[in-house]
Amino acid sequence: MSSNQDKKPTGGQEKVGIYICHCGGNISDHVDVKKLAENVKDLEGVEVVHTNTFMCSDPGQELIQKDIKDGKINRVVVASCAPALHELTFRGAIKRAGMNPYLYEHANIREQVSWVHHGDQATEKATGLVAAAVAKARRLKPLEPIRVEARRHATVVGAGVAGLRAAYDLARRGLEVALVEKSPFLGGRTARLGRLVPSGEQAGEVISRIAGLVMTSDKISIYPCTEVTAFEGFVGNFKLTLRRKPPEEAECRAQLKKAREAGVGKGEFLPGAGVLTPNLPDREEEISLETGAVVMATGFKPYTPREGEYGYLQTDRVITLPEFVELLAKYPDRRGGFLQVKGKQIRSVAFIHCVGSRQIPGIHEPGQDGNLNEYCSRTCCAATLQAAVQVRKAFPRTRVFDFYRDIRTYGRGQEEFYEEASRQRVTFFRFEPEEPPVVQVSAGGKYPLQVSVKDTLTFGEQLDVPVDLVVLATGMMPTPIKEMVELMKLPVGADGFLQEVHPKLRPVEVANTGILLAGTCQAPMDVGEACNAAQAASAKATSLLARGYVELDPFVAKVDPEKCSGTGLCKEACPIEGAISLKERQLDGKTVVQAEITPALCTGCGICVAVCPSRALDINGWTLEQYEAMVDAIVAA
Amino acid sequence: MGKPDKEAMKALRQQRKAYIDRAKQEIKKQRKLIKAIKGQIREEAKTVPRIAAATKLPSDQVLLFIAAMRKYGQVIEVDKDGDYFTYKLSAEA
Amino acid sequence: MMKETHSFQYDALVIGGGIAGLQSALDLADQGFKVAVVEKDATIGGTMIRLSKVFPTLDCASCITTPKMAAASHNDNIDLFTYCQVNSLTRSDGTLKASITQKPRYVDPDKCIGCRQCEYQCPVYVKDEEQGGFSLRKAVYIPFSNAIPQLALIDVQHCSLCGMCAKVCPTEAIDYFQQPEQFVIEAKTAILATGFKLTPIDQKKEYGAGQVANVISSLQMERLLAPHGPYQRVIRPSDGKEPDSIAYVQCAGSRDLSLGVPYCSRVCCMYAIKQAMLLSGALPLADITIYYMDIRAFGKGYEQFFQNAKAMGIEFVKAKVGKIEQGENQNVLLRIEEQEGDGRVVRREHDLVVLSLGMVPDWNPAGICPVTTDTDAFIKCVQPKLAPTLTEMEGVFVAGVAAGPKDIVDTIAEAGAAAMEASNYLNTLSSGQAA
Repeated sequence: MSSNQDKKPTGGQEKVGIYICHCGGNISDHVDVKKLAENVKDLEGVEVVHTNTFMCSDPGQELIQKDIKDGKINRVVVASCAPALHELTFRGAIKRAGMNPYLYEHANIREQVSWVHHGDQATEKATGLVAAAVAKARRLKPLEPIRVEARRHATVVGAGVAGLRAAYDLARRGLEVALVEKSPFLGGRTARLGRLVPSGEQAGEVISRIAGLVMTSDKISIYPCTEVTAFEGFVGNFKLTLRRKPPEEAECRAQLKKAREAGVGKGEFLPGAGVLTPNLPDREEEISLETGAVVMATGFKPYTPREGEYGYLQTDRVITLPEFVELLAKYPDRRGGFLQVKGKQIRSVAFIHCVGSRQIPGIHEPGQDGNLNEYCSRTCCAATLQAAVQVRKAFPRTRVFDFYRDIRTYGRGQEEFYEEASRQRVTFFRFEPEEPPVVQVSAGGKYPLQVSVKDTLTFGEQLDVPVDLVVLATGMMPTPIKEMVELMKLPVGADGFLQEVHPKLRPVEVANTGILLAGTCQAPMDVGEACNAAQAASAKATSLLARGYVELDPFVAKVDPEKCSGTGLCKEACPIEGAISLKERQLDGKTVVQAEITPALCTGCGICVAVCPSRALDINGWTLEQYEAMVDAIVAA
Repeated sequence: MGKPDKEAMKALRQQRKAYIDRAKQEIKKQRKLIKAIKGQIREEAKTVPRIAAATKLPSDQVLLFIAAMRKYGQVIEVDKDGDYFTYKLSAEA
Repeated sequence: MMKETHSFQYDALVIGGGIAGLQSALDLADQGFKVAVVEKDATIGGTMIRLSKVFPTLDCASCITTPKMAAASHNDNIDLFTYCQVNSLTRSDGTLKASITQKPRYVDPDKCIGCRQCEYQCPVYVKDEEQGGFSLRKAVYIPFSNAIPQLALIDVQHCSLCGMCAKVCPTEAIDYFQQPEQFVIEAKTAILATGFKLTPIDQKKEYGAGQVANVISSLQMERLLAPHGPYQRVIRPSDGKEPDSIAYVQCAGSRDLSLGVPYCSRVCCMYAIKQAMLLSGALPLADITIYYMDIRAFGKGYEQFFQNAKAMGIEFVKAKVGKIEQGENQNVLLRIEEQEGDGRVVRREHDLVVLSLGMVPDWNPAGICPVTTDTDAFIKCVQPKLAPTLTEMEGVFVAGVAAGPKDIVDTIAEAGAAAMEASNYLNTLSSGQAA
């Protein structure tokens, strides 16, 4: 498996080991790994070349460690996947072998080579990239991570079930927590649900329980009616500006009025809204907050159907599932007879699935933002069946029809629910996305609406179903948080949800360390799944802040005092407030002004390097000399 | 482990007699099978059905042993003949 | 010969060294807690390390799993105990005590350097379950190339005690006399991450009860597609033919009351789609058909993955497969009731058929610890909404498929959640607060 091609040291101090990964076949199916090894083994400074099926595996890492321990090498080049995946893996291995982990350079020959090029071209490009990495590796200097104090404080944005869960867990682990919520209520979307699938627990009870724990914790400060207006800093030391103001939005005011009328006091649950927060603001104010980590729990909003989508807004007899669930919650104990909606007797109701989900280009019409919701919203199938079964059980005379594409009752206890729906004589129709059901207002008929469908369960029969009410199972869309996305530079996926670094390797983190994702801001989830995600995010936040300090990568600017003439151009160009300052110092008996870097604030963007007229600035680990050597090596390869 | 105690080994053999006897039977059967397959592909690369026909062995058994012998470096895949691949003894075998 | 019972102390005990257990252990270790991971197999890595690639990113499974395995084995706060069985897990005086039996490898772990000389010399071939039974290993062997630990073990049931391995071992690591070791792990909290196995392939008579040639399980197909697979390409196991036509039978071990598995196993749609995509890459000319009831592509990016598969030309047929029989030339005959078209029963022939088998639990806590299972035989969760990882036993949490079928993404999230609950529990103990 491993081809070891030792050769005599060149006499130079830098002894480079090259470790080329097959990545199973991901790389070696397209890059001739043997030839690549041959191509780079005679480069200046190269001492050993190894190949391995999985360099990231234990035996692979041991190859590197053995060479280090044997004194064969003092620089490491790994040619494998993108550094985003395994740079940290290899740095760890090098560190454990007793070498400075920054004397290592990563050549990406998977994403940048084997996944996009084939044949000789791929091997050629890989050779160039590895040669460049070797040239850089020879010029690397040992670096130490920047250690900065971390605040044992976390901020959770959003007080839905995920935010409440995260806040409570962080507080239990001893962190101070700020829970920021834009509305006057705790509980988010979950608070508006009825019975939860499959346990039948009342969502209101679930929310009351966790909100109660949060409100009684002395570690959690709740900021209702509050939004994030400014954001800066880095992990362990973020600075947030919050704006808190009395509720203005019409919906909020209406809910508060309802709470007053219903006699719902502070800390108590108002159906359809949530738990009223104990500390409503009476005046607008700005609050500064210093925090170590931020958990995003901004949640989702239900898809709003277009006017005319399945008759929506064209008749008040077409409503969405969330609307229906809220109506249904009002009749919890009603038994017998017909369901009543808006004063009308509902003899039969049709549920239509996948409204605003699983949209297909060319078939569905994009939304106002021009985007299609191509994803599955995951929760609506079970929620629809829950509602359907509830109707059948509470109102045995109301008939229920269910129009679906695929029934996705995937969760524990959900399939049983699907069967229960069949037992309760819910009638199912299956349609293809190309031929969705058509909802028409039937003039003068016995029923006000008619749903027509080509039913593939009856081998394509065209069926007309007369109904009193149509319920659209609308999907989830991320809560619009455009301002925060821009402020915090949050990555957004093609589906509009916040995007994790990697779904399996770093599932609750974004690239900006210290910002974590919890719940449906990341993807559709049900309540249990959102709580799991929130707890996973809390675990990550706790690991980051538990030690009281964080270590930052040392890839920051440094000033060469021999060259700096104090022009201040760097300070002007620097986008980060406070990262560069001009300081007076004594040089050969004279007072000179020179630039000084605050490493913890520097992001290593390199703008200062570009504007310095005397080449007095460089980025550690990414110096101009290193870049030049890389370019030369690529040209020469 | 150092040199195993003769008496202790004897006792262990007695204790594991059923397993040992079965394993010995297996070794015999396997050696015969491997020999037959090797005989077919020493000179010429052949497909699994061809080896099976020539040795009168079931084709799934032939493939199983071809796979194992490839794993331990004794057989190499050579070419494709219709829908099937051909195998030959490696230089090391 | 009973040895003295050793006892080891940890903050947390994780039962199961698959992706759920490893993630929980890493999340606890990162917070500074001492963790013991107990694994029943000779290597950690669980089912995930045995997969080819994983949906929806199509990363190779090894690329994700091996670094986590390595990270756990190198973490100063984590100790791995492989090839171990948990006999009991009880609580007394606020401490959890796990009685453990470590099975003998017949190889001294301190001496073995994983060189595999023994394996090459051993004269006995044994069916290699790590390769879906499609290849052979020896009676002394290392499970697979990226197993952790890289230590040989002897399968005594197939060993002829010929002494060859002891003779060639360069470090005198072979120890034919090794005995099971008993020890106790004491911890304050525990996470159950015991994973799953597939519904048995031979259970369903209508599907040939495992007797029809070229009808394989989905995990066997994972091996055919894996970089270190038994054939290093996709050919069918009966005769080595490169298949022209491959079919998937969905819900072959799920949503089926006759098998006692009424629930949806939740990963089979996606792994079938993933395998179909990988197959169409490996065999561009082959026809690939998926017979399904409902396609459940519900995770992040999954629906898009499904639509891509359709666009690639993979044929999705909504139909119930009634019967699987042997056809001519070792082909497989399916009798299906199409649910589209005119609904007649039709027969279709394929070179190779994959049963998309479901998940059943791999561990039953009965008689071991006072944690009960639900009607689905998975571990019962007492607060499935707010705290899905809580079990009936104080300080004992559950993660991954042990608590019901789940894909890797959901498993990893739940493992993090279990670690959070466990660390909170430890915190509560140390600060003397009530839970």
